[in-house]
Amino acid sequence: MKIDEELIEDSGSVTVLAFDTSTAAFSAALVRDGSRIDSVASFAERNHSVRILSEIKELLERNGMKGEQIDAIVVGQGPGSYTGVRIAVTAAKTLAWAWNKPLIGVSTLEALALGAWLKLRTENEDLADDRDIWIVPILDARRGQVYTSRYAADHSGGWRTVDSDAIRLITDWAELIEDEGTEDAQVAAIWFIGDTPLHQAAIEAAEQSGTRLRMLAWDMDATALGLLGELKFRLGERHDVHSFVPNYTQLAEAEAKLLAASRGE
Amino acid sequence: MSGQANEAPSESGSLLLAIETSCDETSVAVVRGGREVLSNVVSSQIDTHRQFGGVVPEIASRKHVETMTIIIEEAVREAGVSLTDIDAVAVTQGPGLIGALLVGVVAAKSLALALDVPLIGTHHIAGHIYANSLVGDIIYPSIALVVSGGHTEIVLLEAEGKFRIIGRTRDDAVGEAYDKVARALKFPYPGGPHVDKLAQEATEEVVLPRSWLEPDSYDFSFSGLKSAVLAEINRSRMKGEAPDFSALARGFQQSVIDVVTGKAIRAAKEFGARQMMLCGGVAANRGLRERLAALCEEAGVPLLIPPNKLCTDNAAMIAAAADLKWRRGQFSSLDLKAEAVMSLEDWSV
Repeated sequence: MKIDEELIEDSGSVTVLAFDTSTAAFSAALVRDGSRIDSVASFAERNHSVRILSEIKELLERNGMKGEQIDAIVVGQGPGSYTGVRIAVTAAKTLAWAWNKPLIGVSTLEALALGAWLKLRTENEDLADDRDIWIVPILDARRGQVYTSRYAADHSGGWRTVDSDAIRLITDWAELIEDEGTEDAQVAAIWFIGDTPLHQAAIEAAEQSGTRLRMLAWDMDATALGLLGELKFRLGERHDVHSFVPNYTQLAEAEAKLLAASRGE
Repeated sequence: MSGQANEAPSESGSLLLAIETSCDETSVAVVRGGREVLSNVVSSQIDTHRQFGGVVPEIASRKHVETMTIIIEEAVREAGVSLTDIDAVAVTQGPGLIGALLVGVVAAKSLALALDVPLIGTHHIAGHIYANSLVGDIIYPSIALVVSGGHTEIVLLEAEGKFRIIGRTRDDAVGEAYDKVARALKFPYPGGPHVDKLAQEATEEVVLPRSWLEPDSYDFSFSGLKSAVLAEINRSRMKGEAPDFSALARGFQQSVIDVVTGKAIRAAKEFGARQMMLCGGVAANRGLRERLAALCEEAGVPLLIPPNKLCTDNAAMIAAAADLKWRRGQFSSLDLKAEAVMSLEDWSV
């Protein structure tokens, strides 16, 4: 996938409403034709259910928009806080159903990663050759675990998923990333982004080469979510509103125990 | 059921769409004028939770997200109305499982925004009580005996929409006590109805204590009674005898019914109630219905009991209660917050 603008001219003007509540941040954005129209972010101590609809309403009104004028609703599908991701997904499903608009789910981790890359891209001109830069988003999942994935970006707009969303132990994951990055001459730099302050020690412990593992504390920005959603919309991706569910990446604890018991573990 | 799709709502009363997700039922209803149920779709998760021996909150929340828009669509279609005819959206604000409530509250807020109509946050117990207005006229002052898996309360309604709790359980809810005793008697979850049936069929009774608490109290306590059942089972086993489950079920049920109906009738007399209402999921209990009916008749107090499908959690009852607020123009803001614990008295109109 190319995150740059080549698709846009082919398929007319597209406006999406994007929002995510999977992390400590609430973020919503209006994105049109690859650019942010307006956005809002707040850190309401995971009390996103209270303000989410008022914030969306104000965002639309402030920009003189009505639901009918939106081409698609884009939502962060998680992973992240179970309760948090349900809030945005429920709002997105219900709004998409009531307004009869397409629903597009985007990985919260991918949006987090792209948001960080769009910032890093301008600041890393020294790496502006044709090699890959790995963006590894991490969200704390407690007990030494993180929700994570891996993307390969380059300065000509390339954007590729290397590993999809999963829950992993940060110590093992950081070591694996470091090992693979060291072996792969195509990799120019590795950025861990997201909840890095919480996992700084584990990431630093995995460092062997001494120069290439970098960290950026980064919060969710729905603008990046909207950009990804708009691209997917232009590529014809749609989710079925009724069957769309969060990506929790793991079973509920009670289900996992039941499954283990049925296997005789 | 009325299927007139193009009827003007203003001529025949407001159209409320209500959502209820406080525990393990996803329910959406469309009700006209607070009284006429056009649809009341209930999706139960009971088969899912049975394998865990009880409701698992995280799984309940996941299921609500899976079914929410499907149930909304079904309720609107079944009601034969158009989405644009809806005048307001009501939702259970609390009390209940917070993660489960959140799904309904966010869906309701989204619908209110999308349709540009008022939102009405509604108290779950007010819903159980006003389920009675879907089957009859409530005459005030009225005493409501609310019995369910999560609640056991005696509520005085001196006037429409004015709630005063005069008694409540100090430990287990009555339905909770039934489920715990059912587990001890080796019944699968949810075991309440099994205990009721076994008690009805019993020929013997193990007499168990009645927990009346202080003489003037309308409160309840069921944890001692539950322990008495467990102690009886243990005592039989120590003697090498098989415990008589049916006699125990009857003893348990008789104790619960004596206390619950006894206090409700005393309240009706003390407060001069012109009516008694039985509501909540345990209102399906046959033993309880029969005894309360007999006592009410003796005391000359008319009794209202909704049919079973309106006693268990459902959204039509939420619409019926929300109508109290709708008629008075008392709406909630889009910043409505789901509340695991919520005062019924403060929700009064």
